[in-house]
Amino acid sequence: MGNFFSLVQNENMKIYRRVRTWVMLGILVIVNLLIPILFSMVESGGQTTIWDSVILSSSFTFFLCTIFSVIIAADSVAGEFSWGTIKLLLIRPWSRSKILLSKYVSVVLFSLLCTLLLAGISILVSSLLFSGAAESGMLPFGKSGMAFTLQYLLCDYVNLFITVAIAFMLSTVFRAGGLAIGLALFMMFTKGIFTTLFSPERYVWAKYLIFTHMDLTNYLQSSEGPGGITLGFSLAVLAVYYIVFLAISWYVFSKRDVAA
Amino acid sequence: MQHEPVVRLEGVTKKVSSKTLVENVTLDIPPGQVFGFLGPNGAGKTTTIRMMVGLTSISQGDIKICGYSIKEHFEKAVSNVGAIVENPEMYKFLTGYQNLRHFARMMTGINDARIQEVVKLVGLNNRIHDKVKTYSLGMRQRLGVAQAILHRPKLLILDEPTNGLDPQGIRELRDYLRHLCHEEGTTVFVSSHLLSEMELMCDSVAIIQNGRLIDVRSLKDGSIEGQDAALETEFMVDEPVKALSILQGGTQQGSLITLKLNRDEVAEMNARLVQAGIKVYGIHTVTRSLEEQFLEMTGGDPIG
Ligand SMILES: Nc1ncnc2c1ncn2[C@@H]1O[C@H](COP(=O)(O)OP(=O)(O)O)[C@@H](O)[C@H]1O
Ligand SMILES: [Mg+2]
Repeated sequence: MGNFFSLVQNENMKIYRRVRTWVMLGILVIVNLLIPILFSMVESGGQTTIWDSVILSSSFTFFLCTIFSVIIAADSVAGEFSWGTIKLLLIRPWSRSKILLSKYVSVVLFSLLCTLLLAGISILVSSLLFSGAAESGMLPFGKSGMAFTLQYLLCDYVNLFITVAIAFMLSTVFRAGGLAIGLALFMMFTKGIFTTLFSPERYVWAKYLIFTHMDLTNYLQSSEGPGGITLGFSLAVLAVYYIVFLAISWYVFSKRDVAA
Repeated sequence: MQHEPVVRLEGVTKKVSSKTLVENVTLDIPPGQVFGFLGPNGAGKTTTIRMMVGLTSISQGDIKICGYSIKEHFEKAVSNVGAIVENPEMYKFLTGYQNLRHFARMMTGINDARIQEVVKLVGLNNRIHDKVKTYSLGMRQRLGVAQAILHRPKLLILDEPTNGLDPQGIRELRDYLRHLCHEEGTTVFVSSHLLSEMELMCDSVAIIQNGRLIDVRSLKDGSIEGQDAALETEFMVDEPVKALSILQGGTQQGSLITLKLNRDEVAEMNARLVQAGIKVYGIHTVTRSLEEQFLEMTGGDPIG
């Protein structure tokens, strides 16, 4: 019955045929152009390297990247319900699981696009504005600037990826985009407070909290996190949460009655 | 029926918590008809349609479309169906054409020529490349029908399709439903709470009330009852009391006597009255419209 790729193509059409999407991508491009330029204006003494600039810049712009991806994720399922088009979408010869999967794939593709735009533009602009010669003060020993930066961006992406999965789940469960966006962003901004309050150093159970593991950049500096947790452990905890989030989305989406 | 029914509802029940929305509905929809599904607001029409297309689960019983159970073989069953459930909601930020492309991609074997053909059939040629948000309700309804018939489904389900349409729009809808049914052999299942509409467009109707099927009847030839059926007949006479005793039965109201008679009996009773010297000023058959019968059956729920 047709191929799965056309479902993803449909979902992409519904993302990229909206003005809103292009506004978000436009903002992302502009901000990623501007921030390195601002750095170059305020920095003195030629100390900043390309990679310092990229990391500093992305620590701002990754927020935007996450917010935009969350908006797309939160609207993916909830939008169909609020538009009423879900009733047309689900009466085609496709199982609900495949429809949901196509939506999730398109959301992940959007988040990758945002991240690649971010990385590409900030690396490009930074390399035009800064020289790569100087030794960076931010780098841990024995790592090249580029390797460190790419690992840093990867950690940021993992963070974003999990946040998007949370938004996608909330959107599917509550069928309300606003609520999903609000809750996902609330979690994104408060997880720092959570980690401080409930540190694995103080409470043993805190090492099973998702908040403790979402920011993996610590592992770039040291091989052990607070309370003796390791990278492998963090990844395992994240994987379990991720599977649970997607399983909840799938269960709710494929079992629930679609009534007005 | 010599043909296999397109849809079989087998003891279909829908319960939500403790409330029963649809109760034990059994119904066969024969092919090649415009089949009406009539009932007052809140009767359970939309709920039944949602179960037919797999949007909601069936609490008890099963629904088979072209022999495939919507529960067990959803994909096979639903590929024979095109539907609009409640309002024709489309992606407003896409054009009509993009909406059709979207649904065409979800099914096999729909090429661009087919899309054009359908657009022409529903008369949207001029506006198909405009955004749906600029469409009137009538145009969205047409687009809704277009997406539903793209894949030439054997069964077309429309839930209250005339809601919000002007008389012109209703007429056009009726025309192309007839066209689909008679030229392309599509079975059309259409719900409505408006009886007058059903009389105009349907070959048969099933009547539902409070979640229960209360009647299924044919509307062929425009007559509900056959030629020989006993009909309410009124005699206008000068001596109603005397006439009443001669006619043996019936009810009197002023100079009118009403009783149930078939054609031959009417002639016979008239002769008897005349023989007894009663002046018969008029005889006429009280053809109760389907509307009145419907009101009677459904206990006078407001219609229309
Ligand atoms: N999800 C639901 N939960 C509880 N009651 C419902 C639900 N959906 C519909 N109903 C009720 O079921 C009845 C039938 O509704 P519906 O099928 O929409 O009627 P119709 O389409 O014939 O107007 C109504 O009384 C409605 O309020
Ligand atoms: Mg309804």
